[in-house]
Amino acid sequence: MNYLYFLYIQFLDKYGIPEIFGDITFPIFPFCIIAAAIILVVLFLVLFERRILAVFTQRKGPNRVGFNGVLQTTADAIKLLCKQNINPVGVDRFLFNAAPILVFVPIMVLWGLIPYSSEFVFMNFSTSAILYTAIAALPVIGLILAGYASNNKYSLMGGIRAAAQIISYELPIMFVLLSVAALASSVNLKDIISAQISSVWFIVPCFAGFIIMFICSIAEMNRCPFDLPEAESELVAGYNVEYSGMRFALFFLGEYASLFVMCAFMATIFLGGYLPIGNKYISELIFGSNFQFLQLLIYFEQVIWLLVKTFILVYLVMLVRATLPRLNSQGLMLLSWKFLFPLSIVNFALIMVIKYLMVV
Amino acid sequence: MMRDILFHIKSLIAGHFTVFKHSFKPAVTVEYPDEKPIIPDRFRGKHTFDENACIGCKTCMRVCPASAVEIFKDGNKKTILFDYKKCIFCGNCKYYCPKSAIGMSKQYELATDKVEDLKIEMGKKDNE
Repeated sequence: MNYLYFLYIQFLDKYGIPEIFGDITFPIFPFCIIAAAIILVVLFLVLFERRILAVFTQRKGPNRVGFNGVLQTTADAIKLLCKQNINPVGVDRFLFNAAPILVFVPIMVLWGLIPYSSEFVFMNFSTSAILYTAIAALPVIGLILAGYASNNKYSLMGGIRAAAQIISYELPIMFVLLSVAALASSVNLKDIISAQISSVWFIVPCFAGFIIMFICSIAEMNRCPFDLPEAESELVAGYNVEYSGMRFALFFLGEYASLFVMCAFMATIFLGGYLPIGNKYISELIFGSNFQFLQLLIYFEQVIWLLVKTFILVYLVMLVRATLPRLNSQGLMLLSWKFLFPLSIVNFALIMVIKYLMVV
Repeated sequence: MMRDILFHIKSLIAGHFTVFKHSFKPAVTVEYPDEKPIIPDRFRGKHTFDENACIGCKTCMRVCPASAVEIFKDGNKKTILFDYKKCIFCGNCKYYCPKSAIGMSKQYELATDKVEDLKIEMGKKDNE
């Protein structure tokens, strides 16, 4: 990212434009990169999910549009874009229009916090892991607003359920994150990754934490088996019953974008993020350590390693979706407060002991 | 308590593994217009009629629950009229025919865009 920044400043300098202008306008570039990446990844993820679910249930999935169905989701997206935006009677216009944006924007910010390779971090704050969990809880405000503004009982129920779910599943995530931060002695995501170079990946000492984080992330993404806010059989479609066209597409986009970014976050803090297996880069093995563009190749390889780890986690999330039925709302609360929350505290205590032994 | 939790964890793992095993099995989907499904031997599709075997007893007309069959007898010539608007493909006409003059083929693509095409007449009408 610094490299891109210097290029931009140099470019502006050539035409005599002051540096302060470059400082202000530079965020446009990461924004455009993230926006394009979200669209591409979500289009791919939806197709991936449909094909994977089809494989699990011995079907074929979409295979008509384009080569083997690769353009299916693109066609769906174009259809959604062309659809009419309906404002039902009795909705709160302003909140109704603001809710999808409020859901989507925090998730877009989350995309900027993940370190994709050692140089490719859009926003590198010293507390980025804490900031991540703080922002990851924000989309629920959009969900509540969507439920409230839709003038529909199903929507309202969906919004309230989303709020209850987020509150009960935020706490275990925080405790797990604390234990990881204790292991890495840092709350910066890049530092957490570089702490995993010297020691093992944090999934080894903190396996219980990984399981807790995995379950809670599924709950935060509102996916099966925790998809109570949009339970089809009970609430029709939950908070987005009244939405159509582009505003519905924003909800949809947000859901899948958060699926990807949550898995990328888990891969970052537990599976070593962009680190390769055994700390040996494949491009280094192929081209030798004296190759001219080795550093550049390694940056790209790091992105690929992160993508591979992320998609393994995405695959697991889809496996869970294909297997488990939906919990009832009572079971959801019981699982979190009576099981995951105490377990995360015990895990935190254990990790502190391990950390103490490691230091001594 | 502890035994319950262990049991639940065990069944969770077993369930996920079962679903995972399914991903190695071939798909059961038949992409219909491109590939035809395998039709069983005793399938009851469009009727066939053997006008030489028919003796014109009109049993088929009597046993048909939907009154979809009609036999016209004119001397030695017998023609049969199937009304596929009414026919429920129960196979009674085939089952009760004393001379096995009525049969049922495997042809199932009977959709048409004209109502008249659903009434199909078979028999010696052409070479009168």
